[in-house]
Amino acid sequence: MGHSMKRKEDPRFIRGHGRYLDDFTLPGMVWMSLVHSPYPHARIVKIDKTAALAVPGVIAVLTGEDLAAHNLAWVPTFHGYDKQMVLAVGKVLYQYQEVAGVIASSREIAQDAAELVDVEYEPLDPVTNPFQSREDKIILRDDRENKTNHIYHWEVGKREETDAALAASDVTIKERIVFQRCHPAPLEPCGILADMNPATGRLTLWLTSQAPHAHRTVVSLVTGIPEDKIHIISPDIGGGFGNKVPVYPGYVVSAAASVVLGIPVKWVETRTENLTTTGFARDYHMDVEIGATKDGRVTALKVATAADHGAFDAAADPTKYPAGLFGIVTGSYDFPTAFTELDAYFTNKAPGGVAYRCSFRVTEASFAIERGMELLARKLNMDPSELRLKNFVKKEQFPYPSPLGFVYDSGDYHMTLRKALDMIGYDDLRKEQAEKRERGELMGIGISTFTEAVGAGPSKHFDIMGIKMFDSAEIRVHPTGSAILRAGTKSQGQGHETTWAQIAAEELGLDPQNIMVEEGDTDTAPYGLGTYASRSTPVAGAAIAMASRKIREKARKIAAHLLEAAVDDVEWANYKFQVKGQPDNALTMQQIAFAAYTNPAPDSEPGLEATFYYDPPNLTFPYGAYIAVVDVDRETGAVKVRRFLAIDDCGTVINPMVVEGQIHGGLTEGFAIAFMQEIAYDEQGNNLNTNFTDYLVPTSLETPHWETSSTCTPSPHHPIGAKGVGESPNVGSPAAFVNAVMDALSPLGVTHIDMPLTREKVWRACRQATTA
Amino acid sequence: MNLEYSGTENIPASKDAVWSFITDPANIAACMPDVLESTVVDPRTFDAVVQVAVGPVRGKFKFHVVLDPQPGGDRLNMKIGGGGFGSVVDLTAGADIRSESDGSTTLDWKGSASMRGPVATVGGRVIDAQAKRVISTTFANVKARLSPAAAAKPA
Repeated sequence: MGHSMKRKEDPRFIRGHGRYLDDFTLPGMVWMSLVHSPYPHARIVKIDKTAALAVPGVIAVLTGEDLAAHNLAWVPTFHGYDKQMVLAVGKVLYQYQEVAGVIASSREIAQDAAELVDVEYEPLDPVTNPFQSREDKIILRDDRENKTNHIYHWEVGKREETDAALAASDVTIKERIVFQRCHPAPLEPCGILADMNPATGRLTLWLTSQAPHAHRTVVSLVTGIPEDKIHIISPDIGGGFGNKVPVYPGYVVSAAASVVLGIPVKWVETRTENLTTTGFARDYHMDVEIGATKDGRVTALKVATAADHGAFDAAADPTKYPAGLFGIVTGSYDFPTAFTELDAYFTNKAPGGVAYRCSFRVTEASFAIERGMELLARKLNMDPSELRLKNFVKKEQFPYPSPLGFVYDSGDYHMTLRKALDMIGYDDLRKEQAEKRERGELMGIGISTFTEAVGAGPSKHFDIMGIKMFDSAEIRVHPTGSAILRAGTKSQGQGHETTWAQIAAEELGLDPQNIMVEEGDTDTAPYGLGTYASRSTPVAGAAIAMASRKIREKARKIAAHLLEAAVDDVEWANYKFQVKGQPDNALTMQQIAFAAYTNPAPDSEPGLEATFYYDPPNLTFPYGAYIAVVDVDRETGAVKVRRFLAIDDCGTVINPMVVEGQIHGGLTEGFAIAFMQEIAYDEQGNNLNTNFTDYLVPTSLETPHWETSSTCTPSPHHPIGAKGVGESPNVGSPAAFVNAVMDALSPLGVTHIDMPLTREKVWRACRQATTA
Repeated sequence: MNLEYSGTENIPASKDAVWSFITDPANIAACMPDVLESTVVDPRTFDAVVQVAVGPVRGKFKFHVVLDPQPGGDRLNMKIGGGGFGSVVDLTAGADIRSESDGSTTLDWKGSASMRGPVATVGGRVIDAQAKRVISTTFANVKARLSPAAAAKPA
């Protein structure tokens, strides 16, 4: 562990031998294609299937009314507070909503026939933002008892105390900061191959699932099919980023069709379907207020958010956390008091609010506080690094109880930011910036020193649909000393086949090359809640270490038996068991494994295996210090990210190369969010970003060069001290980019522009400032 | 996405001739560009299959066109609804028709279009160019069909 071992899964992927959902076919398999609504809000007057059914090869056309006959027209959303339509019944609530499903003998016939399903709509006025929604002039959800678009109010902290502290502050800033609606847009879209075997009565689902066990339970609860009759296989996944956590209508329609028809049914969504109907992220409109003394000591933080949840409350958050872990909004700073509240609203937009490479709204919170601190530094005329250093939670304050209810596990924020400032040459950059400003050139330096809350989570607080958010590992050591390791998680590119093997290898003294890692098959893997929200290493990684330690305990007894010593006299040293103080009298784990099957200890079971379900005592709190350096062309609005340094502290590092890969990928996504990406809707409710010509994914040509480094403050409560890192770069980088651009534009008096910072927006801001 | 257009066209033909021409669904269908098929449903209505190519949105759209001549013969309203490939286009238009002293006829027209679905994502400028092409081609065809030279040709 701690070595940059090459990823075991990569030879398979780089040779094109990965097996993704779309690679699977079954004899007699048919295809499903969906009919989508062109209207964002409309009553369905009539659905005429006649022309579609007349197409040779079409087997069936399903509508919401057909599903209602099987009690499948609506399904519960993940946290159980709302339900969502599978196929529209009565009316459509967002553009591209699924209205019908066509089952046909080929993908092409299904798609062509879907065009022939004639749906007559009666258009209704749409609601396209939370501020319009909260007026309740148009009520969107006829099905709900409460005739309001308001979904819920959530708050945490001390309102009166915070208001009083803000009122008493020498300096305050207040800004509406919008984290735009964006989309995880994994390169592999979502899909399913559903196979109900009439002979066995067993439903097998090959599914693009980040959480196969949770999906199996949901399928069982919704359909009434016993869980032992449901087998979910999540094969290789081409990126998830939270998009493959929810249950989508295409899954339900395909599975229902397979159950009814008794034949395999496959559905793989198009890019447009992925961008327009599956789980979006963010769409938080945050009013951020910070108070401070005139010498720059923060006094209070208040954030009030309007959240656009779309047509259904389908945000994939733990049950008790409707706004996810947004309470991390105090960030890395020691606020004496804080308060945050959030109101969520329905709109005529696609449902979602998934944790896009983010631990349940941590990205929104980090962006709010990091932009807020930058605005405060500007107002105080103080260097933003100095403001941060002045207000960081100090190393000796850990474990640190935050004013909004978290207990941060560990950190040394001062050390990490100082390292970043030194590495990037901060003082020299500021001198260069001053010289450039003299010449009228726009150069900016942006800092983001974020703290995340990840690793959901402790069972006393965290569940999804009642299922506690533990995770699991099962390890079987074979007689010859190789092993199979199964976990309740599911890699979508994170490299679990390598890093899980490295954890077990470190704990057991085995060769990681000889530890096969298997995930994603509910028939074989132990029950777990899956991979998202940076929870795999904090939870399943801990389970792997603990299962390994259970094996090691048993192995110690076998070693004592073989060494003819008392168990208490046998110790684990240098990856071997030895009689205490006698390194020459030692046995390897391979030797013990063989004995476990050939010469077991008299008082123990044969074999060498263990399962562990890990219930974390707390979340983990990775953090980082990121610095972006940009040049802005005021004539064109073009922003050149000249340098970007990311220093991450994720505690103990299992594989530095894998971590670096995660950082590179996440920074690239953060760059895209900051400069390119938005799922925008016009006033008529049209989704304007329905494909990769309108929703941009950066290529290597646009992507800046990333500089990375790390510090290490291990988590004190995690078995190996690891904290999780996969989401840090996506969480922390948008604020660094935006802060850098705003710093560049500060001579023009520009203080805030909402993302994405497109050339047009930057150019308009420059032009407006110049002409004003 | 909503788009609005208006303009004035002068046609070198009498008001009666123009009125008679533009209130006939078959004539309108014949003058619209890119029409692959058209079916006159009744004296005021026709269906058309139109080849559409707006940016990446390409394919056959089906439209239902209703002509609504106003009493007095001075104004014609028109509604076009339809779409394809998940897109919906609704267009309403109206033209005030008057005789000129030189015997020609002037149409003061105004139309607004509402677009939903993929076609709405293409971008206003691309759609704008296409819409202007459709309008100008249609009027050019109307003029050509009603010009004295055309009228002189044997049927």
